[in-house]
Amino acid sequence: MTSVEIHDVQKHYGGFHALKDINLSIEEGEFVVMVGPSGCGKSTLLKTIAGLETVTSGKMRISGRDVTRLEPGDRGIAMVFQSYALYPHMTVRENMGFGLRMAKRPKAEIDAAVTRAANILRLEEQLEKRPKQLSGGQRQRVAIGRAITRSPDVFLFDEPLSNLDAALRTQMRVELSTLHAELGATMIYVTHDQVEAMTMASRIVVLNRGRIEQVGAPLELYNNPANLFVAGFLGAPRMNFVAGKVVETSGRSARVACAGGHGVTFDELAEPATRGDTVTIGIRPEKLRIDGAGSDFKFAGQVRLTEYLGRETIVYVDAGDLVTTGSDSGTGVFTVQIGDIRPFQTAASVSIGFDAREAYLFTAEGRTISSPKPVASL
Amino acid sequence: MSGFWRSHRAWMAPTLFILPGALLFGIVIIMASIQTIWVSFFDWDGVGAMQWVGLANYAQLFDDPQFYVSLRNNLIWLGLFMLAPPLGLALALLLNQPIRGMRVMKSLFFVPLVLASVTVGVVFTWVYDPSFGLLSLLFGYFGATAPALLSDEHFVTFAVVVAALWPQVAFCLVLFLAGLNNLSEDLIGAGRVDGARGWPMLWHVVLPQLREVSFIALAVTVIGALRSFDMVAVMTSGGPFGSSTVLAYQMYEQSIFSYRFGYGAAIATVLFVIMAAFIAWYLRTLLKPERESA
Repeated sequence: MTSVEIHDVQKHYGGFHALKDINLSIEEGEFVVMVGPSGCGKSTLLKTIAGLETVTSGKMRISGRDVTRLEPGDRGIAMVFQSYALYPHMTVRENMGFGLRMAKRPKAEIDAAVTRAANILRLEEQLEKRPKQLSGGQRQRVAIGRAITRSPDVFLFDEPLSNLDAALRTQMRVELSTLHAELGATMIYVTHDQVEAMTMASRIVVLNRGRIEQVGAPLELYNNPANLFVAGFLGAPRMNFVAGKVVETSGRSARVACAGGHGVTFDELAEPATRGDTVTIGIRPEKLRIDGAGSDFKFAGQVRLTEYLGRETIVYVDAGDLVTTGSDSGTGVFTVQIGDIRPFQTAASVSIGFDAREAYLFTAEGRTISSPKPVASL
Repeated sequence: MSGFWRSHRAWMAPTLFILPGALLFGIVIIMASIQTIWVSFFDWDGVGAMQWVGLANYAQLFDDPQFYVSLRNNLIWLGLFMLAPPLGLALALLLNQPIRGMRVMKSLFFVPLVLASVTVGVVFTWVYDPSFGLLSLLFGYFGATAPALLSDEHFVTFAVVVAALWPQVAFCLVLFLAGLNNLSEDLIGAGRVDGARGWPMLWHVVLPQLREVSFIALAVTVIGALRSFDMVAVMTSGGPFGSSTVLAYQMYEQSIFSYRFGYGAAIATVLFVIMAAFIAWYLRTLLKPERESA
């Protein structure tokens, strides 16, 4: 059954168009993660689902009911805020029971719901404490507990882990995934952290400038990004992008030439290319090989910097005329990720390369036209 | 020198900063208070010799019907002034809307704060004037005759308090507006998600966040009611027949006009005790949550 349906939602703040043509359908029990850079509208979209923000136009349905004009409390949702937003003057018990109290439920029912939530979240010892006496992780759990007691149709999370330190974040991530499996409820989760998105989501929604760029399973999005934005946003270190030009086409094949006299042929394109088109080649750092011999596309470069991350090595390679665009480092160097530890001398010459079937090809507008990659089925 | 300063800086710097304030407070407040209590045991015209009378001033005070009039009027002031915080809050909630032009509205409400209270007193004296005042115009509009509020011993205190309430409400309004600005948007959001709206929202989510501001508003209002003096002086001089005096005004009147500094000091001491009791209660309530959260 469809849990949340969003139809043609638009949101304007004065002259600012914050949400553009949002259409999204979420099935019951899904864990949907909305990601995007700051200001992309992901939090705004979550708040419009919650009813904390109104939409300028469009419709929203939750569990089949039209909730577009309903107050947050009447939508069958519960929300966990980044700042926890616990009522500071209430005990943990009162915080968790507040929603039911507002709904005028009998005291026995409230007690039972609070006890159940406290059991799930291991908060039994903290029930009589006030938020100030709790640690960050405990406060976050109380906020989640407050959501659970309302037994909502949909849980909404607004960057709930960003105020926690790294270790606690990993722990809470696992706990939240477990909780989702236990409750089987629909959850919509906003984050800017792509690790959270990749690990927790059943589907990821990538937003950019108020628009949905792509919706899909994490591995699907990682392997087959619909466009240059999604390709660049998911994956760390970031995909390498190189500008090129279509110099020759035949059927669904196209030869792309880049600076420095390099070139590569893409076969079985998803849509045909035209000679003279400006395109962008994308290649993930882990698909670049340091010993480029035998690759479809090979070039020489100099090692600029090497980062040893314990189980992998990241090498930044300067390939002279052949520069990358829009890289994390803000320079034109290539990022190469190697799955083991190997020493590299700075300024040493290396030969690197990749195969065309591992690379992506994007049009000038950023649309992906290279053939879809196989995705491991889970 | 520099070595001495370096090693003692931790306590010397704060001491030096506190010293001017402490000196001033010590002389103007502490010394003056002690002196006042001391003077209250004497019969003194303010110029000549002081004559020890023990508790006679107090005995006379507690037999003085005027003292009870003042005390009753102070209670009226206190009671009516308690309207200022809720009225200020209500206005603040009303003015705290994201509507264009609200800034102008807010500044209009601040106006009485800019006026000296003497001015407010004079303005209201005119408003109440039975011959040309705004009130008489209003009554005249309905074909009625306005009562001479300031010459009526039953209405006079209420009329003065209403005038004094105007700037007091504005003051509370400013405090609450500042407090409303600092409300946590997420907390309000959490409240809305939990289904709180209207009164429950105000009571369970908004007001707890205004706790500190409310306490300040309450304290300033109580102290303002107890030390009220200027409005009475300007509007009625305690009249008619002393029916609108308050303790502070009676003290002033006895000391300055009747040259009875000992008696005035006794009134001041009683007022001091009332204030001290309130402030002690206030500080206890205010400091308790601060200690808890520390």
